[in-house]
Amino acid sequence: MNTEDKSKKSYINPEKWINTVSYEKSYANPEKWISTVPQRNRYRFSKKYSFFITIFIIGLISVPTIKNKTRNLEKEISNLKTSINDLKFDLHKATLDYEFITSPENISLLAKEHLNIELVHYKKSQIKHINDDYNSISMLTETENNDLYENKISTKIKKKVKKNIKEKKQEIEKIKKLYSNPKELPETIKNQVAKKIKKTKSGLQQLYDEPKEAIDIKKIQRWGTFQVVKAFLGIPVVPGK
Amino acid sequence: MQKKTEKEFKKKSFFFEDYTESEINYNEKNLNIVKISSSRVTLLSYIFFSLILIFCLKITYLLTIPEVNKFSEKEDHIFLKSRADIVDRNGIILARNTNIYTAGIRPKFIKNKEKFLLDFRLKFPEIDKKNLKSKINKGEFFYLENKRLTEEQKDKLWSLGLSHKVLELKKIQHRIYPQKKLFSHVIGQIDDSNLGISGIEKFLDKNLKNKKLIENSLELTLDSNLQHIIRDELIKSKKDFNQIGSAALLMDINNGQILSLVSLPDYDLNKRSSIKEHIYTNKITKGVYELGSVFKTFTIAAGIENNVIQPDTIFKNLENQVYCAGRKISEHDKLPKNLSVEQILIRSSNIGSIKIAQNIGLNKYKKFLNSLGLFQKINFDLEEIGKPLSFKWGKCKLATASFGHGITTTPLQLAKAYAILSNGGYKIEPTILLNKKKTFSEKEQIVSSTTSDKINKILRKVVFNKEGTANFADVKGYEVGGKTGSALKSENGIYTSKKLNTFISIFPSSEPKYTLLIILDEPKPAPQYVYEFPNGYKHKGELRNTSGWNSVVVAGKIIEKIGPILAINNLQASKNF
Repeated sequence: MNTEDKSKKSYINPEKWINTVSYEKSYANPEKWISTVPQRNRYRFSKKYSFFITIFIIGLISVPTIKNKTRNLEKEISNLKTSINDLKFDLHKATLDYEFITSPENISLLAKEHLNIELVHYKKSQIKHINDDYNSISMLTETENNDLYENKISTKIKKKVKKNIKEKKQEIEKIKKLYSNPKELPETIKNQVAKKIKKTKSGLQQLYDEPKEAIDIKKIQRWGTFQVVKAFLGIPVVPGK
Repeated sequence: MQKKTEKEFKKKSFFFEDYTESEINYNEKNLNIVKISSSRVTLLSYIFFSLILIFCLKITYLLTIPEVNKFSEKEDHIFLKSRADIVDRNGIILARNTNIYTAGIRPKFIKNKEKFLLDFRLKFPEIDKKNLKSKINKGEFFYLENKRLTEEQKDKLWSLGLSHKVLELKKIQHRIYPQKKLFSHVIGQIDDSNLGISGIEKFLDKNLKNKKLIENSLELTLDSNLQHIIRDELIKSKKDFNQIGSAALLMDINNGQILSLVSLPDYDLNKRSSIKEHIYTNKITKGVYELGSVFKTFTIAAGIENNVIQPDTIFKNLENQVYCAGRKISEHDKLPKNLSVEQILIRSSNIGSIKIAQNIGLNKYKKFLNSLGLFQKINFDLEEIGKPLSFKWGKCKLATASFGHGITTTPLQLAKAYAILSNGGYKIEPTILLNKKKTFSEKEQIVSSTTSDKINKILRKVVFNKEGTANFADVKGYEVGGKTGSALKSENGIYTSKKLNTFISIFPSSEPKYTLLIILDEPKPAPQYVYEFPNGYKHKGELRNTSGWNSVVVAGKIIEKIGPILAINNLQASKNF
């Protein structure tokens, strides 16, 4: 027997097997058997790798784009950084210049050159004098203010007095004109004047008889003001002098 | 029906059909085709996966490598300091590095020398034309006269359109000191290789160059305004007293912070020059001097501390002069025979001080002075530190040391000792570094607070009392206390008539805060100067040149000016008016 015969002999004949199986009782439902066999998943491999491949492709695309974007950002950042550094250095130099310019020595030198005065440190005692001076100055200003106030008042009065004087002068002028020709005067005025003369005569008589009673405060005041007005107008207080 | 089902069953029973001979034969026929295709697929997949692997590796490599920004790391735009700034207590810049340019010219490569000279003169009219012309004609490489060019000057040079062969521009960092002479002895200088050669630049060289700390400024306790006022006053005093040098120190007695340290003559830090003359030494820290009567305060403090004397203890029948080892010791002036301890200090009696020191005894006196740190080299923030001269103690030495004769120390140590005596007896370490703060609880008490109080009161009387030697420092409102010292200078071991006058003051006496030390080196009598006493009396034609007639006057003027800045008891001062 050659090897082929041997393989044929040992080959299992399914018909034989089928006949041995009791048809009714041990009938094997093929559906059941099929379902029990683990089916070969043809799509599993491709699904599994396609997922990674897509991620990889996405990665491949996104990496350069992101990189380009980051490069642009880096450029922008670097530009900003350089400008910041330039500004920082400018500030660094500017503060140095500032410190040089504002150094106490420089300030005192500049003050001597440009202010035309030497900066003086005040003593405490001088501060006291300043306070005293301030007080005296404040007092002075107060009095000055008072004088001003008085001056303001007096100017008002002066104006009023001037007005009154003018009016009075005009009246006197009129009266002078009137009394210069007594014949031309109307009867009523003549009577009034006569009455006045009588009154003054009787008053003078009373003054002559009882001089103490004739002088009362009102009269003195009136006389006083009259004299003041006279003096102000330049009319002699004592007639004839 | 049964047959059908059997057939169907047979057909569907693939289970056994897979092993049929026919099937196998069929597969073997197509096996070669399948094999070829599968090998292609594997090859492709290998290529594919190897590519993926390469990309993955590349991506991971890109992810892992440190970020290198090719755009922003341009060195031209970044100013990296090679040395940290130095600022005062108010943040005012005292030293700062900046970029400058040096310009060198190679005349050999200039094509048209006349045109070059003309252009150069147009751009830089201030330059010496003759000098430049001669240098160009020589044909040797030379640097421009003004070695340090600013940015503008550099741009001007560029605008000349010279080639790189002709013009050599070099950017270097340079240290600028905007306050010029003001802090010359404190800050010191650096050399061209950025190495500190003196002052704090040398002492803190490593810290200033430390790259981690380079952006943080080194803060000093000094105050520019106070420093200027004090320096200005010392310079002005030269007109009146014609001293060859002077020095001043203002210190906070509670924490040892130095607000001002001036030593004259000084020098401009921006102008490099080698200073070898002795006169330029830092008198406050490096100078070791006999300081005279200022030591009497220590003698009295030692006596009070050791309960040997009290301020009202009276010494009777004091001699006018005593002899020690054949040498005569006398008073500076005619003094009463009976003096209290207080009067001994107020009137500055030498004989009285000797008597007190003798009562204390050598060991106790020596121990007291040692506790104040007067003899050992002081621990300070500068390189320029002087060491007091050592000597052998004996009876005579005790006598002379009691009034400050034959005993040396640095002015800084003197100020420290006075600060200890006035602050309640607490040990302090003078410093110019602002971050070197110490709390009061950390301090060690050397002298009792009662002794401190008593000394403060006596020191106030030295200034306030009519008999006192320091009347001119009695500035209203500041309660100045202090002690004068007029020491004779020795040259080659022989005492001369030249004086070193000292006045050390503390203020305000009721609650001391500051100590001001003034030293005038060889002051001359000032008969032209009009002295104004606190009571308003004016005096002219004085021929004495002891401390009370010069150092005290200067101290008074300084306190008057710095007082409002220090804002000491301003309310108290105002109440007096």
